[in-house]
Amino acid sequence: MTMTLPTELPADAPVIAPDVTLASLSEEVSSRVLMDRAPLWWWIGFSISSALLMVLIIQMGWLFIGGIGIWGVNIPVAWGLAISEYVWWIALASGGTIVSALFFLTRSPWRAATNRIAEIMLLSAAPCAGLMPIMHLGRPGLFYWLFPYSNVMGVWPQVRSPLWWDFICLLCYILMSIMYYYAGILPDLATVRDLAKSRFKQIFYGILALGWRGSSEQWRNQRIVYAIMSAIMAPMVISVHSVVGLDFAGGLTPGWHDTQFPPYFFFGAVISGTAVIIMLTILVRWGYSLQNVLTAYHLNAMAKVMLVGSLMLAYAYVWEAFGPLYGSDVAARTEFFNRIFGFTAPVFWSEKILTVVIPQLLWLPMVRRNQILLFLISAGIIVGMWQERFVFTTSSLEHNSIPSYWGVFFPTVWDWAALAGTIGLFLTVFFLFLRFAPIVSMAEVREIVEQERSK
Amino acid sequence: MTALFGVVAVFDTAEAVKNAAARLRQQGYRVFETYTPYPVEGLDRIIHPGPHRLLPRVMFGAAILGAAWAYWIQYWDEALNYPLNVGGRPYNSWPAFMVGTFEFMLLVTIAAGFFAMLAASRLPRLYHPVFEAAAFPCATRDRFLICIEASDPSFDVSAVRRDFEQLGAEQIEEVHA
Repeated sequence: MTMTLPTELPADAPVIAPDVTLASLSEEVSSRVLMDRAPLWWWIGFSISSALLMVLIIQMGWLFIGGIGIWGVNIPVAWGLAISEYVWWIALASGGTIVSALFFLTRSPWRAATNRIAEIMLLSAAPCAGLMPIMHLGRPGLFYWLFPYSNVMGVWPQVRSPLWWDFICLLCYILMSIMYYYAGILPDLATVRDLAKSRFKQIFYGILALGWRGSSEQWRNQRIVYAIMSAIMAPMVISVHSVVGLDFAGGLTPGWHDTQFPPYFFFGAVISGTAVIIMLTILVRWGYSLQNVLTAYHLNAMAKVMLVGSLMLAYAYVWEAFGPLYGSDVAARTEFFNRIFGFTAPVFWSEKILTVVIPQLLWLPMVRRNQILLFLISAGIIVGMWQERFVFTTSSLEHNSIPSYWGVFFPTVWDWAALAGTIGLFLTVFFLFLRFAPIVSMAEVREIVEQERSK
Repeated sequence: MTALFGVVAVFDTAEAVKNAAARLRQQGYRVFETYTPYPVEGLDRIIHPGPHRLLPRVMFGAAILGAAWAYWIQYWDEALNYPLNVGGRPYNSWPAFMVGTFEFMLLVTIAAGFFAMLAASRLPRLYHPVFEAAAFPCATRDRFLICIEASDPSFDVSAVRRDFEQLGAEQIEEVHA
């Protein structure tokens, strides 16, 4: 006999509300894109986002005039917030691909309604990640020297370096994500085109839909390519974030020089990416009143993914301690003790609580069903992951191998402006997608509707 | 009067359109196509029977080409054009070239798949005669359309209409384009 908790969702709980039909689904989702006036919450959110985007522009302007000395970075801590936030942003983006590609391969029914939010999140976060190292370059105008192209200087990039691998990974990742997104959204753009009333919108979405007709031949081609793309994107995203880990693992700095960091970084991507998607899903389903399409089933499933992410991260944290304690490198042990008891200790311990201890509440079904708690836990995870990246990057450099070389890192107001500004860039791009692109994958949810109907 | 492109029938379920397509094929029709709001399992095998291995093969070929291209660029750079001794590693340090090779291979594969998908589906093509059907917008929403085109060798308007009626079509329409 199996025991079920009274608050647990039954195994055959509907993925979408029973009153959703093919027609109502298309009309509801498309009407959010086609409405003439955006709702008030959209304008409020968009205004705040654009204001933050202005902070980024001002910050970048002053950075390009004054140089990266306006930030708190110096010797010994030459990699400051820009690099740790690069890792943070690319982790959030990677989580979007994991939800969208990996769970397409597993045919998880909850993926069909949430994958578009995940992909939009990824397309909004990836530019923020890409901007961070470019701002950090010191001579940002010369970043194109990283391309291996034949030039009159006769020099080539050093392709044995993890930093170069990282550049190639990020570039390929962004381009591939755009094509993956577009291949998936093509049928939905055709739906919007056919529902549009005004001539301008018909032409606008008509061009975007490329003339999609939904013929059996087109569907077959789209499905074959989309499945192969998903099978490529899932290992791709693991490689991208592992290479970010290699940026650090390849260095001799104590605290960085460890083979565990590629998976460690990837585990962080799983949990933080899912956390952002949960927060955005809760807000979008409330803002666009899509409660019958984005149901408790979806939030419950994603909360479980987040819980798995926190367990994987806990495993990585064990090895974070095991490495320096087991090894014979005095510098690594000194750095580790300083990390957990020294100046950064409050940040270190609160990060562990936010990303591993508090998420254990998700074992309780009532927590997974409570949107406010879920939102708060997710927000805590994102803050915790930011702290994790911050401590990991700066604390190691603060306590390098030579004691005479030690120092402390303090972010300046311009460091915080870069953080606030990239959040502004992320939200601005996200709000624009929210307004102009269908937020739920209608083609895939239609199949769920038919499955639910035939149950 | 513009030329007759074909006759469109509207069905309300995926099963109905699948049965209808199978029956039409048995009756000898060859040039017809369905337009559905989501991919109906098995429908493409009825309308376009035979193996379809083009797209996976294009992607596989692109993967090999992409990998070879990426490796060659790195080899040219590190071993031939600008040899640099890094810690005594060989100039052709292939393990270190694998990351660039892998990522670029995947990029080329996905790009090839994306553009081959559009080419095989004959997109972008912003206008198609079937868009003239009044019922067409429903095909991207909640209805399942079959269009028998006038170029079919056994096409005859009244016979096609009768066949559609027997198959239980909701609505039948001649498309002029």
